[in-house]
Amino acid sequence: MEEFLNQIKEDFKDVSIEFETILIKVDVKNWLSSHETLRDKYDLKFFSWLSAIDWDNDVAVGDAPKEQVTPSFEIVSCLSSVDNSNLVTISTTISKDESSIPSLTSIYVGANWHEREAFEMFGIEFLGHPNLIKLYLPDGYEGNPMLKSFELISREVKPWPGDVDVESMPGDSTEENTE
Amino acid sequence: MNTIDPQNFQTISEASVSVEIETEDMTLNIGPQHPSTHGVLRLVAKVDGEKVYNVEPVLGYMHRGYEKLAEVRTYPQITTLVNRIDWVAGFSNEIPFIAGAERLMEIEVPERAKQIRLILTEMARICSHFVFNGAYALEVGALTPIFYAMEDRERVLDLIESVTGGRFHPNFNRIGGVKPAAGSGPTTKKNIQDLPAGFYRDTKIAMDKVIEAADKFQNLIGGNEVFHKRTKNIGVLSKETAEAYGVSGPILRASGVKSDLRTQTDYLPYDKFDFEIPIGQNGDCYDRWDVRTREMIESAKIVLQAIEDMPSGPLQAKVPKVIKVPAGRTYVRAENPKGEMGYYIVSEGGLGPYRLKVRTASFSNVSILPVMLEGALLPDLIAIMGSLDFVLGDVDR
Repeated sequence: MEEFLNQIKEDFKDVSIEFETILIKVDVKNWLSSHETLRDKYDLKFFSWLSAIDWDNDVAVGDAPKEQVTPSFEIVSCLSSVDNSNLVTISTTISKDESSIPSLTSIYVGANWHEREAFEMFGIEFLGHPNLIKLYLPDGYEGNPMLKSFELISREVKPWPGDVDVESMPGDSTEENTE
Repeated sequence: MNTIDPQNFQTISEASVSVEIETEDMTLNIGPQHPSTHGVLRLVAKVDGEKVYNVEPVLGYMHRGYEKLAEVRTYPQITTLVNRIDWVAGFSNEIPFIAGAERLMEIEVPERAKQIRLILTEMARICSHFVFNGAYALEVGALTPIFYAMEDRERVLDLIESVTGGRFHPNFNRIGGVKPAAGSGPTTKKNIQDLPAGFYRDTKIAMDKVIEAADKFQNLIGGNEVFHKRTKNIGVLSKETAEAYGVSGPILRASGVKSDLRTQTDYLPYDKFDFEIPIGQNGDCYDRWDVRTREMIESAKIVLQAIEDMPSGPLQAKVPKVIKVPAGRTYVRAENPKGEMGYYIVSEGGLGPYRLKVRTASFSNVSILPVMLEGALLPDLIAIMGSLDFVLGDVDR
């Protein structure tokens, strides 16, 4: 992996390795060209997946990031090789106001469904995508469920489904069962 | 009395149509409730006579939003969720997730726990391939194999149940190891037993039966001429197309690529065992069936080797009572029965992940359908679709 990492460093400036996963950070204007380089020069022809992360401190569900972050979308894609264990994740950040990015479908046809999923779940526009319509959600569905600001209705009704001991059971002394 | 004049009959059958018939294009809805779609997949096929020229899969009938749910749950709770992604091989879904969390927490898992994981993963693979063998034969018109397959699978499911307590959703992995087995006696701190009594003996019997069953399928299905006619040179997939679409697992190997994450990565100690990676030559439906059937034998061999050489030691590494995963991100992938499954965990140091991306094999495998079905005959549609061996829970998540 070290050897492969050093090779990649020739073409990419911001390369890091964290928990055995190589992360390449690129600028959004190099999004397509970096994928092309990785496919042609480094033989990473296997398109594994693409998705997004919604960075925001204002969350409706779950925990917010500990530190203050600029609200943005991070797009992450993962490429690998079928012949060896080389694998990279490529990430870029786009602002939430102008949430659009060039589509990878011209380089990897397999990006098609992954981008459609990210489009409906986060509301990210993929420019040049051949068929950017909803993948999972029904036609009339409003909102982008994977956004951190999107409320999970079941959580509103019952804040913590795992918590069954809200009311004490008959004959249940609270001291006994707590460890 | 009307009798068929043999002379006349012959002339009719020999008559051929020499005029081009203007056929009207027809849109055919297949599914979501169709027995051969393994769940609720809908295909909108545009057909011209018997030829399919455009297929658009419609997903979402099984979408349960696991990635969103994972954001409001703790790591141990997510193990329960991920069991239900590919329910035919529930156990293998847990492995990459648990391995990812352990990697972020930098926990060294005891050897014995790893080996138990490995045995159960291979058993899950055998179960999945049993279901495929039965279901696929059914789809191309052979009724018998599914009865054999289900009977033989039951023996393996019983073993999984005897260890984990669950047949389809074991929920057996814990961060740092595995849970003490069901029915293993008192589980006080001093006397934790791991595998139930008689497990090695029963496993040996069951694995011998699996090898026998795979041989049986190779005669019963692979020796059937109708099956050959239905599957050979049907739905040929090239290596290049498979790679670009992210198609993995037995489908990729059937196209002649020797790619197996069991040997390429180290999520479980597969390097301790001898096994072959079956590959195909033509990448057609027959090869995809053949690769899976041969894989069953290899998996059984791995299990037989593993029970011979079980490391002793604890089942659990030392982990804090409240599991908090430090900030960081990692991607762990594993070779599941259906292909590459991986979890991209983005942790911010909380009780649950900030973002969990689930990469499932069937999702990418099904995305190839429009390409493979273009120009295919309508009767081949089912044969091609079945050979991809997908589960809708694995497609929609």
